[in-house]
Amino acid sequence: MSKASVIYDKFERHSHAQGLKGHATHYCPGCGHGLAHKFLAEAIDELGIQDRTVAISPVGCSVFLYYYFDVGNSQAAHGRAPVVALGHKFANPEAVVISYQGDGDLASIGLAETIATAQLGAPITVIFVNNAIYGMTGGQMAPTTLMGQTSTTSPAGRNEYNGQPMKMAELIAGLDGPIYVERVALFDAKQRIKAKKAIRKAIKNQVEGRGYSFIEVLAECPTHLKMSPEETESWVKDFMEPVYPLGVKKDLATEPWFKRNPPSFKGEKILSLCGATSEHPERFCQGFPTHLALNDVSLKLAGSGGDGAQTAAMLIARAAINEGFDATCIPSYGPESRGGTSYADVHVAEEEVLNPGSHDPQILLAFNAPSLAKFGPSVRKGGYIIYDSSVVNELPELDPSIKLIPVPFTGIATDLGKAVVKNIVALGALQAATNLFPKETMLSAIRIALKDKCALIPLNEEAFAWGIKAVEALNT
Amino acid sequence: MALKERPKPFLLPEYCKGCSRCIDACAKDCIHLGDQINPLTGLIPVELDLTNCNACGLCMDACPEPYGLRPAHEGQILDFELEDPAKLYGVKPSDAPEPVDVPGETLPLPRTEPLVIKGTYASAIGAILAGCRHVYGYPITPSTEGAELMAKFLPKLDGTFIQAVSEVAAVNMMYGTAGAGLPTMTFTSSPGFSLMLEGVSYMIGAELPGVFVDIMRGGPGLGNIAPEQSDIKLACHGLGHGNTQAIVLAPATPQEMLDLTILAFELSFKYRNPVVMLGDGYLGQMTGKVQLPETLTKPGIPRWAVYGDADHRKNLISSIFLTETDLEAHNVHLNAKYDAMKVEARSESYLCDDAEVLLIACNTPARTAKGAVQELRHHGIKAGLFRPITLWPFPVEDLKLALQGVERVIVVEASAGQLEDEVRLALSRAGVRDYPEMESVRRMGGILPQQDEIMAQVLGQKEVRA
Repeated sequence: MSKASVIYDKFERHSHAQGLKGHATHYCPGCGHGLAHKFLAEAIDELGIQDRTVAISPVGCSVFLYYYFDVGNSQAAHGRAPVVALGHKFANPEAVVISYQGDGDLASIGLAETIATAQLGAPITVIFVNNAIYGMTGGQMAPTTLMGQTSTTSPAGRNEYNGQPMKMAELIAGLDGPIYVERVALFDAKQRIKAKKAIRKAIKNQVEGRGYSFIEVLAECPTHLKMSPEETESWVKDFMEPVYPLGVKKDLATEPWFKRNPPSFKGEKILSLCGATSEHPERFCQGFPTHLALNDVSLKLAGSGGDGAQTAAMLIARAAINEGFDATCIPSYGPESRGGTSYADVHVAEEEVLNPGSHDPQILLAFNAPSLAKFGPSVRKGGYIIYDSSVVNELPELDPSIKLIPVPFTGIATDLGKAVVKNIVALGALQAATNLFPKETMLSAIRIALKDKCALIPLNEEAFAWGIKAVEALNT
Repeated sequence: MALKERPKPFLLPEYCKGCSRCIDACAKDCIHLGDQINPLTGLIPVELDLTNCNACGLCMDACPEPYGLRPAHEGQILDFELEDPAKLYGVKPSDAPEPVDVPGETLPLPRTEPLVIKGTYASAIGAILAGCRHVYGYPITPSTEGAELMAKFLPKLDGTFIQAVSEVAAVNMMYGTAGAGLPTMTFTSSPGFSLMLEGVSYMIGAELPGVFVDIMRGGPGLGNIAPEQSDIKLACHGLGHGNTQAIVLAPATPQEMLDLTILAFELSFKYRNPVVMLGDGYLGQMTGKVQLPETLTKPGIPRWAVYGDADHRKNLISSIFLTETDLEAHNVHLNAKYDAMKVEARSESYLCDDAEVLLIACNTPARTAKGAVQELRHHGIKAGLFRPITLWPFPVEDLKLALQGVERVIVVEASAGQLEDEVRLALSRAGVRDYPEMESVRRMGGILPQQDEIMAQVLGQKEVRA
């Protein structure tokens, strides 16, 4: 068989092609990689995909795959070849990406990447060369070393303390992602023909966009098995094959599915995703609420998850920014996904918020008793505490200069038929108690926030109005 | 019709390693193990006696060496040793074309009202506007919202978001996409960034662009999820093994989260090197006003990329330099690049011109420090703030200017002195020995220094002095 045309005419990357290195591989006599390379090269030639091919060189003996293949080449960190392959495949779905890996790379250090990539199922081709030993580092135990087999790190033979050999083809075939998994060998002419066909098919599956294919090649490493090349062939046949049975492990007739459009760079589309608009929000403020602070108002909204403190905090920040002020909002949650503590720090500044945390807020909106107990004492002298009197029965000890505004957020919201609007009741109460912004500012922010759920606007407006009324009732 | 004559094998003995696979394959017993060591290789090649050869080709099929057993060219090359190797192999190693740049485009973006979004979202949108359509990540608080937004937006832009099996996988997916020449990024937080560092070192070694947004949190170990400036040392001096450096950006507002993310992509491609953006947990979570830029980028394909097309077939992405002198030369090249990055040093000096008390801070603590400067000025104290925007390269020339006339220097940070170490190292390397003894306001564990603590440091010591 002539040299495949995808093999470089001269191996410039092999020690600058000095001496014989321009035309000889770096593999030892009898090594299986040479044949695996050859079948891969022939498949690329036959499928006519040289220009589209990206070969990922692993770490291990085949680290220098890129010396030989005249295709796009990328060399990956140890074990990471399949995910590097995915990175290439998603960058250019037309590329034919081949992850070529040895046993240490694929079945030990890169096991997580191997399994996850196989299960993802995107059409790449993985060629796994299993020779039951670490070659490059000098004959250490591989995840595929046989029980009883000696290596420099299992000098007495692999035993139960080293665990059992990894049967990767079976493991991969057991996943849902791959469409084609076969184990082949190189030890005689018949096996070599099968190996060649399998590798070709695994690449063809990718070319056709059908899915992930995995070929395990039982290969010879005479150097580290300390046998002649001929004896190693027999060893693979007599000892490896019984543990790693040859044959097709999985072959699904999956229809081509992997087709991706080129990415979009349409500005309008991006803006619409972000919710950006060129409409100026209406402004209602005459100036900064200096009756509250010279140039920076700090608020804290605190409750438990689901109280709507975060939403209310965001509405205040948006309202402020709509008015041309600067504002920040920092959420803080307890470790619980639902139910735990949930509070937010909001600052509204005339020009620039400098200290976005609210460690000593001027205004506290407390949705429950623990929040009031925790943050009430930190409220600045002369500040405001607006709390849900439906659920808070006891007040902590507070500075007498603090204005206390009890409003039944929950009671009002429940009467309106939707307990979830209690945060809007609270915003109404905030409005009436502090006059932070004109009423229309908050209402406008609420309407903008609900522009995709217009049906909810009247209910929210009503909740806001009831919050105002409740505070006004306190004052009369 | 005449049958096509099949070629018999020939062998240059120096390209035979004597593995004997061909001996098994030959049914006619034409090939034997030799008994002479080839002086060029030190190996014993097989010997051919083609008297009985029927040109079945099985021996050539069995030969693992590309230039091992090959068909005799038209049956002519019997006296191969007299052939000119250039005639046998050709002189050109590959017919792949010389790679070229496919240029990107800058497209106009309609003007809009400012968005009100959190820092991680601002960064994600910045990345999209910078042309990034490939994001790989692993969820980790407090950076996850960035990845979540990408997971929502990118499919609608025919982009790719993949939640990787781990940070290790995420950074290597970035290596792949960056190797293909496209912009790529990840959102992570301190422990996740630690896991990515092997990949960062590979990317620097292979000269690949990529943007890492690290929303730093309290450490060491699992620590907590509250804001700390815990990775300054890591980003500036510990990007994995080997001689690694990257531009490190430190935004202080949601607006800068967007602006500096866009800048990060530019710099990353300009220098073919990763760029790290350090935010603190506050900045990641904080919602604020963010104005979008007036343009967006549609990326091209750089000439060095391995895109998987004919134009880029010649390329190799690799950090391997097996020969010591080659690797040294590569490091010399990297060092020259790191030197060239020094022009990217950026900072903000706030009221530094007449400052007697200079605060130095970055990220959210810089905002707090700015508030302190204002309050101190109200107290009649000439305070100023020096805020490095690039932590590496450190803007030491700007700092030298800010230090003029300064009587006190106070480094304000949410770490055990990682920023101060950067300041000291930068001044030392710049040969600046004469500066006031450095004071500090430090908090750790997820607590940011507060304005009153800065005030206490400035005023308290002033009182003591008086």
